[in-house]
Amino acid sequence: MQFNSITFALFLPIVFILYWFVFNQKLRWQNLFLVVASYVFYGWWDWRFLILLFISSLSDFIFGYLIDKESRQFRRKTFLILSICINLGMLGFFKYYNFFVDSFIDLFSLFGIRLHASTLQIILPVGISFYTFQSMSYTISVYWRQLKSTKDIVSFFSYLSFFPQLVAGPIETANNLLPQFTKKRVFDYAKAADGMRQILWGLFKKIVIADNCAGFVDSIFSNYSQHSGSTLVFGVILFAFQIYGDFSGYSDIAIGTARLFGFELMQNFRFPYFSKSITEIWRRWHISLSNWLRDYLYTPLAISTRNWGLAGILFSSIITFTLCGLWHGANWVYVVFGLLHGLALSYEILTRKQRKKWSKKTPVFIYDSLSMLLTFIFWNITLVFFRSASIHDALGYFKGMFSTSLFSAPHPDIGVNPLTISVLIPLFIIFEWMQRDKQHAMQIDSTRMSRPVRWACYFLLIFLIGMLGNTGDVPFIYFQF
Amino acid sequence: MELNDILQQLNEIFKDILDLDTLVLTPETTARDVEEWDSLSHIQIIVAAEKHFKIRLTAQEIQALENVGDMCKLVQKKSAQ
Repeated sequence: MQFNSITFALFLPIVFILYWFVFNQKLRWQNLFLVVASYVFYGWWDWRFLILLFISSLSDFIFGYLIDKESRQFRRKTFLILSICINLGMLGFFKYYNFFVDSFIDLFSLFGIRLHASTLQIILPVGISFYTFQSMSYTISVYWRQLKSTKDIVSFFSYLSFFPQLVAGPIETANNLLPQFTKKRVFDYAKAADGMRQILWGLFKKIVIADNCAGFVDSIFSNYSQHSGSTLVFGVILFAFQIYGDFSGYSDIAIGTARLFGFELMQNFRFPYFSKSITEIWRRWHISLSNWLRDYLYTPLAISTRNWGLAGILFSSIITFTLCGLWHGANWVYVVFGLLHGLALSYEILTRKQRKKWSKKTPVFIYDSLSMLLTFIFWNITLVFFRSASIHDALGYFKGMFSTSLFSAPHPDIGVNPLTISVLIPLFIIFEWMQRDKQHAMQIDSTRMSRPVRWACYFLLIFLIGMLGNTGDVPFIYFQF
Repeated sequence: MELNDILQQLNEIFKDILDLDTLVLTPETTARDVEEWDSLSHIQIIVAAEKHFKIRLTAQEIQALENVGDMCKLVQKKSAQ
């Protein structure tokens, strides 16, 4: 079920009413009801997906318990490895099987050897990369003794299937979300109202900003050889706003929805395009994934290679980011995207002291704006890989971009007027800049803003969604990851 | 070794690695309180502390650390061995 669908618009109020008014007597019923609602939500795509979610939940519930109970180190480690193998096995099979088979065939054909292996017709279960990662965070934390295992199977199942964040995050660690299922939730009007505001802003970002960019981006990227260099630049910048609006919009809806049910999810985006370095952008972009990778991949790698000195840290960063790229999908373009970020991060690690010196010598405003601009340019260059269908297409896109037509006026001739989006995006940036210190852009202090003004804002947004929104039911980009 | 001594010595290591001359650590300090103490400098601090106190920590011991106080206790336990 998509957040931007009519089905969800009916599903949400029904679940909300049953949750607060029918199943509110006992915590266990409420949690059980959440599991049922979440399984309905997820099964709406394809009921067979539920089997995978169930396997992941049940196996990690059992392994978490076994790891916690066991004192012998060897056995603890064996249980952990088994748990990780089940999750990564499912992920690997459903998401990467064909990719690895194809890549092997290509590799051997380079040496003139022809292999015949058949790829399989596999449907990619929605959100599998998200919930398998969330599930693994639990057993790893128990293994590291940062967390006690839970004996409450209902809470655990609701933690792993919680519909607001099931298919595209935030990837919640067990430390933050699991205890919230074992405590009684009390309805808080102010929090719920704030949740609604965040949902509204998320819908605006998705339906107005992202979906309006989508048409241009699709047309420019699929016919890049027909367009001038400047149009290609325009295309990739629009894609930067499309993917930001799409994914952070989704996160806003997820966090807002969870708040309606009395849950606090982590902030997943902190206005990333105002970052002054690549290191910073990854602290502000898809924070739950960066944190996961930092805690469960980078840190263990860096600890085990710490005797190599700086080389160990650089090695760990590059490996982590390359795998971060691959996490997004089974395609070499994502690997290159990740690798480029790993290299940029390494550059920043190596020049940390030097850059600190430069920043002291340059006026703050100039240094900051320049850093922001360079970071955004680098981000866009890597997005060309991210959005292209293959490495070949990405290189073709660059070739078209860096030609003499780079200095002509952009002309995305696809029958739609680019004016709306050219006006909307700058306004959107200004608004987000003004609100950049908040948890989300629609967080307002109701004591400082009178009711009529607040409602005027809501209606303006609803009006914009209705007038300018692309109602073509465009699916969220990150659902495919 | 007294916990307080360890804290003083760790404080010097932190100051050096994080390039912060005025940093004052307490047992309750966590990475959240010090902006420069990130995943990158954390590893550098661990390496420097291992060298300084002549100890070797396991990955699990490092992962279980929550604040500076935990670190002091771990150093004390390890250097007594």
